[in-house]
Amino acid sequence: MSPPEAPLLEVEDLCVSYATGFGVLRALHGVSFRLMPGEALGLAGESGSGKSTVALALLGLLGPEAAVSARRLRFGGRDLLSRSPEEKRRLRGRAMAIVFQDPFTALNPSIPVGRQVAEPMVFHRGLAESEALAAAIGLLHQVGIRRPEVVARSYPHQLSGGMQQRALIATALAAEPELLILDEPTTALDVTIEAQILDLLESLRRSRRLSILFISHNLGVIHRLCESVCILYAGEVCETGPTKTVFRDPAHPYTRGLLASLPRLAVGDRKRLSPIPGTLPDLEDPPPGCLFHPRCPYGELRCRREAPLFSSPGPQRSVRCWRVGEIGGVSWEEAVGGARPLADEAGGPAAKASPPLVVVRDLRKRYRLGGFWDALRWEKPAGRKFPRPSWAPRFLHALDGVSLAIAPGEVLGLVGESGCGKTTLGRTILRLIDPDDGAIVVDGREIGSAPEREIRPVRRLAQIVFQNPDSSLNPRKTVGEIIARPLERFGLASGAQARRRVGELLEMVRLAPSYASRYPHQLSGGEKQRVGIARALATSPRFLVCDEAVSALDVSVQAAVLNLLEDLRRELGLAFLFITHDLSVVAHLAHRVLVMYRGGICEEGAIAQVLRPPFHPYTEALLSAVPRIDRGRSRIRLREEGAAAEFDGRGCRFQDRCPRILGKVCRTVTPPLLEPAPGHRIHCHHRLETLAALPSPVDAAPPGAIP
Amino acid sequence: MPAGPPEPRPRRRLPGNLVTGAAIVLAVALAALLGPWVAPFPYDEFHIRDRLKAPDAVYWFGTDEYGRDVFSRVLAGSRISLFMGVAATAVSLVCGVALGLAAGFFRGRIDEWLMRLMDLLMSFPPVILGLLILAVTPPSLWKTVLAVGIVYIPAIVRVTRSVTLELVQEEFILAARARGESAGYILFREILPNAWPPIIVEASLRVTFAILLGAALSFLGMGAQPPSSDWGLMISEARSYLDQAWWMAVFPGLVMCLTVVGINLLGDGLREWLDPRLRHGGA
Repeated sequence: MSPPEAPLLEVEDLCVSYATGFGVLRALHGVSFRLMPGEALGLAGESGSGKSTVALALLGLLGPEAAVSARRLRFGGRDLLSRSPEEKRRLRGRAMAIVFQDPFTALNPSIPVGRQVAEPMVFHRGLAESEALAAAIGLLHQVGIRRPEVVARSYPHQLSGGMQQRALIATALAAEPELLILDEPTTALDVTIEAQILDLLESLRRSRRLSILFISHNLGVIHRLCESVCILYAGEVCETGPTKTVFRDPAHPYTRGLLASLPRLAVGDRKRLSPIPGTLPDLEDPPPGCLFHPRCPYGELRCRREAPLFSSPGPQRSVRCWRVGEIGGVSWEEAVGGARPLADEAGGPAAKASPPLVVVRDLRKRYRLGGFWDALRWEKPAGRKFPRPSWAPRFLHALDGVSLAIAPGEVLGLVGESGCGKTTLGRTILRLIDPDDGAIVVDGREIGSAPEREIRPVRRLAQIVFQNPDSSLNPRKTVGEIIARPLERFGLASGAQARRRVGELLEMVRLAPSYASRYPHQLSGGEKQRVGIARALATSPRFLVCDEAVSALDVSVQAAVLNLLEDLRRELGLAFLFITHDLSVVAHLAHRVLVMYRGGICEEGAIAQVLRPPFHPYTEALLSAVPRIDRGRSRIRLREEGAAAEFDGRGCRFQDRCPRILGKVCRTVTPPLLEPAPGHRIHCHHRLETLAALPSPVDAAPPGAIP
Repeated sequence: MPAGPPEPRPRRRLPGNLVTGAAIVLAVALAALLGPWVAPFPYDEFHIRDRLKAPDAVYWFGTDEYGRDVFSRVLAGSRISLFMGVAATAVSLVCGVALGLAAGFFRGRIDEWLMRLMDLLMSFPPVILGLLILAVTPPSLWKTVLAVGIVYIPAIVRVTRSVTLELVQEEFILAARARGESAGYILFREILPNAWPPIIVEASLRVTFAILLGAALSFLGMGAQPPSSDWGLMISEARSYLDQAWWMAVFPGLVMCLTVVGINLLGDGLREWLDPRLRHGGA
């Protein structure tokens, strides 16, 4: 065993490259870091920065086409590079284990969970099958699964996402590894579940003295779990150091840019974001000098000529930048010349007095669970001889009496966990889904039950931007065709006029007019999203539904798109229904917020009202679950188990998971409406004074600590 | 973020099987087109004194029981076989794509009925179904084409339907619906262009099945009629002379085999070539 001071993992000058048909792609270049026993190190960076490649290189899981080299690659005092493939295979799983991003595909769907957890113990530790199974149940218990005996016999599809992720972590721990590598382990999960998984990892770390290499694009999550962080850019380390000091006082321009791009969860923080301009360099043809210089507002001549060396601006920190000593006093916002406050917002849009553009009243949509035969039951009534058939389908109430109103130029945020009905609501308002009941009025026209041909004028006024940039553009059409189609469809322009309008629209979303001739696969994710926005804007709509429109984007791109949406709102007076699971984004952009849970609204109000007490208990839990870079953790955790059961319409829809449940009344009586302030509505049995006294997980003003 | 002109896309190398397959298919197609001018003899000319002659310098593939040149007959037969394969596939393509699009897009009852009908068609062995369609009326080439086409409709329907089902989930289809586009526009302008690659590949493989089934039906006397030189018919006629004149059956068989292999290679090559994941580059 190595002495306690020796690092568990030492990586020095790790390089990975691929020979492509056209040259050499430098995926990683000179990556160095070390990990002490019991330490948690975060690897952060945007997509394409090489985070996952580091993990795969450590495990020896890169394919044969990857050329891996390193000056030093030691694990537990032993060299990793000289190991034979057989030794490496034994090492991974045994001494280091990895948990991948998507729990929904990482477990084998046809093997019970218990056996999947037991398998590494049989393989690596030589336990007998039955012993291993017993140990697996113990392990499932340790990762916080209640009733582990039952779960061990279940198949993955019977578990929720959070439970599957716990099971995966149990699988990784089964061989008692010294190092746990986690590759975006919470990205696919809801915030409330994410918070629980992070709690679990932290307690495991303490109880087992486990070292953790934590890969994430989410700086908040890294801040929450890791004491040191290593920021990657384009396959190079640009900054490493203790998480707290790096995030409080970032030295490398890229780190500063990342932090400046992040919307903050704070009341009154409506200043414009300052995204990083430009895109990742082409790794087959990297720029000379510093890799970041083409995007760096601090750059000087030397940055373009010579690759910078590491220097240390503080204890345990190292930064790869020439100007690290000189740029301390100049914040990123000053350097890029952004940081204008979002002006108009005293209390919402100016057009407050005007009638609402979109009104939705008591909207309902339910889906039958299972098919015809699932609803059929043969039961023997008492006193009868033969069973009789009865047909009683069960329903999922995706929308259970939702009402809302959106004024022209207003951004209404809609938040909630996955499956709460956000997307159904957005699509139903546009009649992409037919409601079962309720009224939808857009610009004075009732479209809730109108036939398609009467909706047509509204289709021009109300458009939608989708979540997934890869799926929202037809891959066989050029950008120009995609944007021109709505113009033709509504007879707004054709021929040369349409081409000119396409150019204008592209400019409106800050893309060059030459993009019109490109195909979607030639664009980056952020560019595709802009094209999606341009298409939605083509008909000059007055109302846009943005369904998780920035969720799939990297922070710097997300910031640019958020700025764009804000500008468009102001220039064109657009009203938005902004659907997202990300409360920080809502806090940044929205004027009013709806908090949705299981098809119904728990709380609604102006953003400042919702972010401050009094809270609905669900809002409180959501807010406190958000991992943040500007403050410590808070304690409210939601139970996960109850979420699977359906709401039968009796009592409060949040009863199964409410951490502040009062008792029987919550289970039987529909909660009353509390109205602490005009426009602020909470559905809860608690007394208003109790809710008002809840501690606030949100800061009143933007924290000044971060430049 | 404006950027310069789009980077030129590097040309991808053609897959080897595509080139090989295309070469074979091209050769057979040329034979079919130029057959009558290249052939040393008319395919139905009798040479009574040279009956059942083994292959030699004059009759490259030998002669049959009437002294007809087997090489010339094989050349002429390629025209019938290729026509059979392509025309029958066209029939199943036109019907299959339309039905598959409808089933995948409208779902519900239409889908249910169509798919059960397809199950019914598929539950017959192809030859039996072909015979069933042909047996009721006197045989002709056109009817064989139609019969073979109908037999392979279900395969095309299923491929088209499964691609459509996937594409309907895409957000660009939702975007089209948000513009209130008609079903026709969504089907033929949004879905079909994206559905082509797998359909084309399936169709190219169906050509070989159609050639084989056409030959089988001719062999059974339900397809091309004497004195036509369809490959299946030639093999059928050669059956009674197998012990004296092997060449009468072997050469048409070999050429048919080569054609089928060529088309299969072409289909596989097309699959690789058209796969959007490969075409658009991984990264």
